[in-house]
Formats: sequence, C-alpha cells, structure tokens
Amino acid sequence: MAMDRGTRASGLFKGAFRAFSFLLLMSSVPALAEDPLERFRIDLEELKKENEALQGRIDALEAEDEETRHGLGLLSNLVEVSGYADAEYAFTDREGEDSGFRIRHLSLFFTKDIQREWKLFTEVEFEDAPRIESEKAADTVKSSQGTIFVEQLYIEYHPMLSWDIRLGRFLTPAGVWSIYHYPPYVPTQTSPIIYKEIFPKVSDGVQLKNSFSLRDSSIDTHLYVANGAGNPGALDRNESKGIGARLNADLLAGLSTGFSYFGERDNDGASRMSYGGHILFNRSALRLQAEYQIRSNETDAASGSDDSGWYAQAEYDIGKWTLAARYDWYDPSSESPDDLWTRATAAVNYRFAHNVVGKIEFNSNGFDDPSMDDYSQAILGVAVAIGDL
Amino acid sequence: MAAFLKKIALLTAVALVLSASSIEAAEPVAIIVNRANQVDKLTEGEVKKIYTNNTLAWPDGVPIIIYDLSINDQSRAIFSEKILGKAPDLVAEEWAHLKITNQAKNPPQIMKTPTLIIRRVMREKGAIGYVAIGLVQNNPDVKVVSTLR
Repeated sequence: MAMDRGTRASGLFKGAFRAFSFLLLMSSVPALAEDPLERFRIDLEELKKENEALQGRIDALEAEDEETRHGLGLLSNLVEVSGYADAEYAFTDREGEDSGFRIRHLSLFFTKDIQREWKLFTEVEFEDAPRIESEKAADTVKSSQGTIFVEQLYIEYHPMLSWDIRLGRFLTPAGVWSIYHYPPYVPTQTSPIIYKEIFPKVSDGVQLKNSFSLRDSSIDTHLYVANGAGNPGALDRNESKGIGARLNADLLAGLSTGFSYFGERDNDGASRMSYGGHILFNRSALRLQAEYQIRSNETDAASGSDDSGWYAQAEYDIGKWTLAARYDWYDPSSESPDDLWTRATAAVNYRFAHNVVGKIEFNSNGFDDPSMDDYSQAILGVAVAIGDL
Repeated sequence: MAAFLKKIALLTAVALVLSASSIEAAEPVAIIVNRANQVDKLTEGEVKKIYTNNTLAWPDGVPIIIYDLSINDQSRAIFSEKILGKAPDLVAEEWAHLKITNQAKNPPQIMKTPTLIIRRVMREKGAIGYVAIGLVQNNPDVKVVSTLR
C-alpha cells in the first residue's frame, strides 16, 4: 500500500513535471514563432531608415553639385544642339507633280552661351535631303538636289531678361507663323499661303527686343533694321535699309493680339510697305490663330498694286490627338481681278511621344485664274524634335 | 455571363475608388519663395503670370528665377492643372517651341527633385518654386506664398 502510495506519488510528480514541461514548451512556442517575424520587422524598419538616409544623402549630394555649378556660374563648355526633322509621303493630283516621299527638313540649332549676357544662335537647314556633286576638273556643279542654308545666325546680347539685341540673320518678326512654325509644334506640314509672300522670311540686320507690362497685359516689341527682302548678306545691292517692327500684347484669358510692319525700297527702286495684324487665343485644349497681311508696292512710275492675304486656323487637343483646320486666302495683286488662291486644310496629329508627332493632312487648293488648275494634296508625315528641350 | 459582368462592374468600381483615393491622397502643393523676398502672398493669377513669363521681375526689381519639377512629378501635375490650366506635357511642348525658336524670355529650370528646388529657393533671392507642402512646413528659410489644394 505504501509502495502503491509511493508509486502513485512518483507518478503524480512525473505527471506534474510532464504537464509543467508541456506548459513551458507551449508557452515558449509563440515566442519562438514571433522571433523571426519580429526580427524581420525590425530589419525592415532599419532598412527603410537606411534607405531614407541614403536617399537624403543622394538628394543632398545632387543639390550640392547643382549649387556648386550654379554658384560658380559655370556655363556649359559644350555647344547645345537641338532641332527637328520631318519626312512625309504626299499624294497629289497637281498637274506636273508626282506623289512620293519627301525628306522635307533637317534643321539643326546650335546654341552657345558665351557668357551670361552673350549667346550665339545658329540654325542650319537641310531641305529635301541635299546632295551636291561637282566636276573636280572644272569645279562646277554636275548635279544637285535640295538646299543647304544658314537660316539663322545671330549674336545675342541680353543684359536683362526683358531686353535683348540680336545682330546677324534672324527670322523676320512678323505675326505668328513667321516665328512659330516648326513642324513638331504646328499641326500642318504646309504653311499658310501668305507666309514668306508679304513679309520676308529672314532678315539680315540688327533687332532690338523688349518686353514690359502694361496694367495686366504683357507687351513684347521687336524693332529691326535689315537689308530687305531678297537681299541676304553680300547680295545686298542697294544703299537703303528696311525698317520693321512687331508688337504683341498678351491680354487676359489666353488672348493675345498684335501688329507688324516692314518697309523697304527694293533693288528695282520699288517702295514696299507691309502691314500685318494677328490674333491668338490659347486656352486649355483650344487654340485659335488668325493673321491678315497686306503689302503696297509702288514703283517710281507711280504705278503699283497691293498683295494681301489672311488665314484662320483652329486646333483642339484630345489627349494625344490634335484636330486642326485652316482656311487660306491670298490675292497676289489687287490689279488683277482673277488671281485669287484659296486653300482649305484639315489635319489630324498624334503624339507618339512628347517630341514625335504623326500627321495626316488634306488640303484642297482653288484658283480663280482659269489657266491654273485646282489641286488637292494628302500628306502623311512624321516630325521629330531633337535635343533636350 | 451575368457573373462575368458583375465581376467587371466590381473591378471597375474598385479601380474608380482607388483612382479617386489616389487623387484625394495627393498632398497640397506650396508655392515657395526665398525668405528675403518682399512678397508675402501671391494669387494664382500672379503665379500664372510668372510661370508664363508675363512677369519677369519682383516688385523690388530682382529678376525672377523660375523652378519647375520634372514632367512626371505629381506636384507638377497639380500645379500645371491648377495654375496653367493644362496638362504638364502640353506646357512642356509650348516651352520646347519657345526654346527651339529662341523666343523664351525666362524659361523654368527643371529640377529632378523637390529637395533641389527647396535648396535653390533657400539660396537665391529671386527664386520661386513649388513642392509638396509637407516638405517646407517647418522650413524657416523659405516662405510659402500660396497653397494649391
């Protein structure tokens, strides 16, 4: 009995020990299970902190680098290159012309900031993929296609943000299209008919540009003296110089308007006075643009005529798409009653990327002159902007 | 078919809720200038005139230096829509046109991070920029002149 009691006590003790051990084991199980999770969480927090600290250091280093360069006022030693290129396929039913591919432009802009106030700006244009071959023996051109020309080259001095002076060859500041016409940023491949007809495309001379505020409007003014139309550089064959001006006022709510003037006496002694007015509305996805230009041409014999024209263009952006339409009207001579040229254009653009634009354009041209045949064109093109813009 | 349509409707609803919450989650944007700048407040119209180059100098004559964030930054999207009324890529395209024609008077300088903008604004008296408001709330070296929510 005593043995039974001892055996029972021993069994009881063993049971209690087992139960205690089991409870101890059980209580330690969650702790063992939580340890790796906790460790993982702590590691993660530490990694996050390290990552934030590293990001902060990278930001600080970048900022210091930027600040050092900026503080020292160091300008890039390199010439900045930008530009655009466009290629297209044009279908046409115009008499004497064939449908086909056209490598329309490769324009390269070279900009060099010489000092903070001085800059050199150059645009070299290669039109229609130029190829020129010469006879080595005779040193004459054997065959050629396309054109290469320096469209702009000027030295700019800008002592203040609101002033600059440009000396050299520049785009004639007249209206809107004469300045803002580069293919990646306009909806059509064809230009308005009046472009280059009434005001010269480029001017060789000196230009003064000033911007100022008047009440709530911002005013941009251009004043320039130049050789005149048809007289680039060394080909200037008369003493008189042309004088031109442009004024543009940015009014409220995306509306801007202005006028342009250019007067010259050409190589034949004819006095030519060009006047233009423009209006632009640019708000949200809608852009409306219109220009009217007229030129009076008077010779010494007191005879003369006017040429004039206008266009109105509407653009609307829907995401990556732009829809556009334009109507052109041009009268080359007020003396001739049957020489009107009109054109209706519709275009759709798609932005494959912010600097790559696909274009589809259709235009229909009509002439009052019975000797001129009406014609239409459909153009499929791609325009690309080059450089860090 | 009905179950499939239900799933599509549910997924669309979830997507809409998520997109709405991400817009709501966007932090307000602070327009900041240097603390030495005499200007204490700017209206949205005044900020627009600066960022469209219609105002080139501060009232004391100091030239304005404009800072912008990169095109994909969320703060830029808010700034662009609220101040300029256009998507950032359209605004960038307009600047590209002005730059390529060399007609840009005072184009914005693009900074990769808000930190860089803050440091520039802290350093330059004529600087103006914008960043998420949380980044400058306790920074005495810059002045918040407008907040976009």
